[in-house]
Amino acid sequence: MNRNNVQHLYWRSGFGASPDELREFSKKTRKEIVNQLFDNSKQTMRLDVDTSEIIAVIKNEEKLSPESRRKVQKLSRAKIIELNVKWIDQLTSSRAMLREKMTLFWANVFVCEDNNVIYIQNFNNMLRENALGNFSDFVKNMSKEAAMTKYLNTKQNRKLKPNENFARELMELFTLGEGHYSENDIKESAKAFTGYSHNSKGVFVFRKRQHDETIKTFFGKTGNFSGDDIIDIILEQKQCAQFICEKVYRYFVNDNLNKNHVKKMVEVFYEDYNIEKLMRFVFMSDWFYHEENIGSKIKSPIEYLVGMKKLVPITFENEKQLLFIQKQLGQILLNPPNVAGWKGGKSWIDSNTIVLRLKLPSILLNDAYISKAKNGTSDQMIIKKQAFKKQYGKRFKTQVKWDSFNKTYTHVDIEDLPEHVLCCKISKRTADYLKTLDKVSKREYCVQLMSLPEYQMC
Amino acid sequence: MDRRKFLKQSSLASSLFFVPSFVKAFEQVASSDLGFKRLVIIQLSGGNDGLNTVVPFRNDLYYKERPTLAIPKNQMIRLNDELGLHPSLTPLKRLYDNGYLSIINNVGYPNPVRSHFRSMDIWQTVTDSDKFSQSGWLGRYLDHYGKQPYSAIEVDESLSLALKGERFNGIATQNPAILHNLSKDPYFKNISRHQNDAHLSEHNLGYLYKTMIEAQSSAKYIYETSKTATSLQQYPDNKFGKQLKTVAQFINSGLDTKVFYTSLGGFDTHVNQLNTQKRLLKTYADGIESFVEDLKANHSFKDTLVLTFSEFGRRVKQNANVGTDHGTANNVFVIGSHLKKQGLYNQAPSLSNLDDNGDLKFEIDFRTIYATVLNKWLDIDDQTILNKSFNQLDFI
Repeated sequence: MNRNNVQHLYWRSGFGASPDELREFSKKTRKEIVNQLFDNSKQTMRLDVDTSEIIAVIKNEEKLSPESRRKVQKLSRAKIIELNVKWIDQLTSSRAMLREKMTLFWANVFVCEDNNVIYIQNFNNMLRENALGNFSDFVKNMSKEAAMTKYLNTKQNRKLKPNENFARELMELFTLGEGHYSENDIKESAKAFTGYSHNSKGVFVFRKRQHDETIKTFFGKTGNFSGDDIIDIILEQKQCAQFICEKVYRYFVNDNLNKNHVKKMVEVFYEDYNIEKLMRFVFMSDWFYHEENIGSKIKSPIEYLVGMKKLVPITFENEKQLLFIQKQLGQILLNPPNVAGWKGGKSWIDSNTIVLRLKLPSILLNDAYISKAKNGTSDQMIIKKQAFKKQYGKRFKTQVKWDSFNKTYTHVDIEDLPEHVLCCKISKRTADYLKTLDKVSKREYCVQLMSLPEYQMC
Repeated sequence: MDRRKFLKQSSLASSLFFVPSFVKAFEQVASSDLGFKRLVIIQLSGGNDGLNTVVPFRNDLYYKERPTLAIPKNQMIRLNDELGLHPSLTPLKRLYDNGYLSIINNVGYPNPVRSHFRSMDIWQTVTDSDKFSQSGWLGRYLDHYGKQPYSAIEVDESLSLALKGERFNGIATQNPAILHNLSKDPYFKNISRHQNDAHLSEHNLGYLYKTMIEAQSSAKYIYETSKTATSLQQYPDNKFGKQLKTVAQFINSGLDTKVFYTSLGGFDTHVNQLNTQKRLLKTYADGIESFVEDLKANHSFKDTLVLTFSEFGRRVKQNANVGTDHGTANNVFVIGSHLKKQGLYNQAPSLSNLDDNGDLKFEIDFRTIYATVLNKWLDIDDQTILNKSFNQLDFI
């Protein structure tokens, strides 16, 4: 497979390829590379922060006292920041790159948020464990997570006082899409999810006495359905496979759907809802490597940040600053805007985020300086850079490992740097401008490339 | 559609395309002739306790449910025989006495949600409480009537969902100099200089270039225009005061912006509410009074309408920690010099007819307020923006 295609596959199934990976894989066949991708993701490495302090507060209280609840919330606030930062690290360094990317994808399908770190951590690991598994099991597991029963009020859904929130979103946002079910389907299926709850440790509890045992009619079928039955009936609708395949296509292939490609995916997925099989099909398809799909997507803020960290290793001395940047860029992990999730695509970009995205690599990595040294005049740069450092360099406390970058890119010719840093061709006029500038060093050239609109693409 | 409306709308529509500068000049003359109305929205985040803001001091239930939290009768700023303002709101009372304030009581929406995020989302996206939208109401206003990112400005660090449309977004800036500085690096100027406008929005990369170029020119425009305004007005020395000062500077410099958005947070008073709310309401009222004075001194108050809301009110009954929990309906403040109905717009909420949670049952849907503002103040078709038809109120 050629380098360009390897880079494409690596960006879509992860966050880009290193020079070593590019070199190694460009000698292999598509099948070999794709197999390796899935092999690397066989195991699930959980994402965990130490929650022993919180568990100590919960102890054996079946229902938390207001005081304990406040303590848990307070401890959780700090721990959720820790979890966020740890997730970014795992996205950056995990060998199971595809599983991590899929986890990120599913987190924006089964959107959830919670202020208890144990619940949201469990939810996140549930996404990770099921990310390449069977979609039917996945939806059922998701419906029983403590964080989800809280977020969409299944907990408050009782026999005599039904709450339709989960039933509605299950169909509208998680499996079928608007217009593919009736209001009556919502009412009837909500009854099947009555009695779902959890204990203080976040373990699923089915409260039989709150469960509505009456006969329900759902999508033309009649019976005393359980929540799992309802999910089975939903998955019988081909629209469910269609809905998920469209989401996969938009996320991994192209913002604009190609109906024929999606149709082929649906045929594969509807057979047995095997997510791994679907993803293999996508990555093995010729159309996945068509030119219109390469470098055509706008990176999400997390893809942008993780990609940057992979390229030039950087750590934040104050972890809150990493969250601050996520907020400014418009995507805080574990903190979706609402149950519809992040819209993605062009909506990542507004006047503020584009300015920040263009400027951030230089701010974080290079004392806010982008070299504009013309050919043959690079000697003034050092003085300018010091002035910049004084004026702008203080905002973020970071440790940047340019040594590591230089080592990784030792064997990369400076002229070849664009194909490592960027996923799409540089537009002609910008390329013309870059030609007038001196390639002072790989570092300065790398920062120049990262400060382009082209760097936002993957 | 009357002539005035037609002129305004057609000039807005034409500017969606690249128009020669003489046409733009004409537009500005036209819009100033018609009176350039501006809307300022202030969001009190966290859920302000409306019952301790506009206090029903004749109501025994109020004192019964809040034995250690109620505002004592003798500290109240009386508005009439039933309602009074929180003692921190003295400046607001002065606006009230001048006929610049309309208080709309008991504003909410059907099937209220008591989660901050979700309820704020509902206020910002204007959906039914069981529906979702990924665009905000002011963003949709930009989709239809905006010309430039700076047609709507949020004076804050980042852009709220309220100002994100389907196709257009507003711009956020706390300090126009910083935004301008960030975007004016000659490197960016050089890469945007020779781009060919015609093909810029066809694909994602083109969209990035287009947005970059617009951001540069918006940042420059906001910075250069706003620095022409000077103000002698003193503002309280806090973040909110600074934000309002920036909004006033934008307005008084004649910035071509229809909507401003800003917020004051910290109202989530579950514990020891009294001091927190006292401090926050003082910050709010002192800031607002300075703001109004500043606009008046620059003759721009007559063309400005200020709307203040919070995502929900709080429970009638106080909790065990001398605080209050999340509730439902709340009051909305409308400030301006052209109010049709000054003072109290409607009755105080009933404290005896509560819902199952012990929360107020709303009387006025907030969307009718938005519809009224869009239609009667900004002079546009509210239904296009709100995706539904709502009754109009008569406060303006």
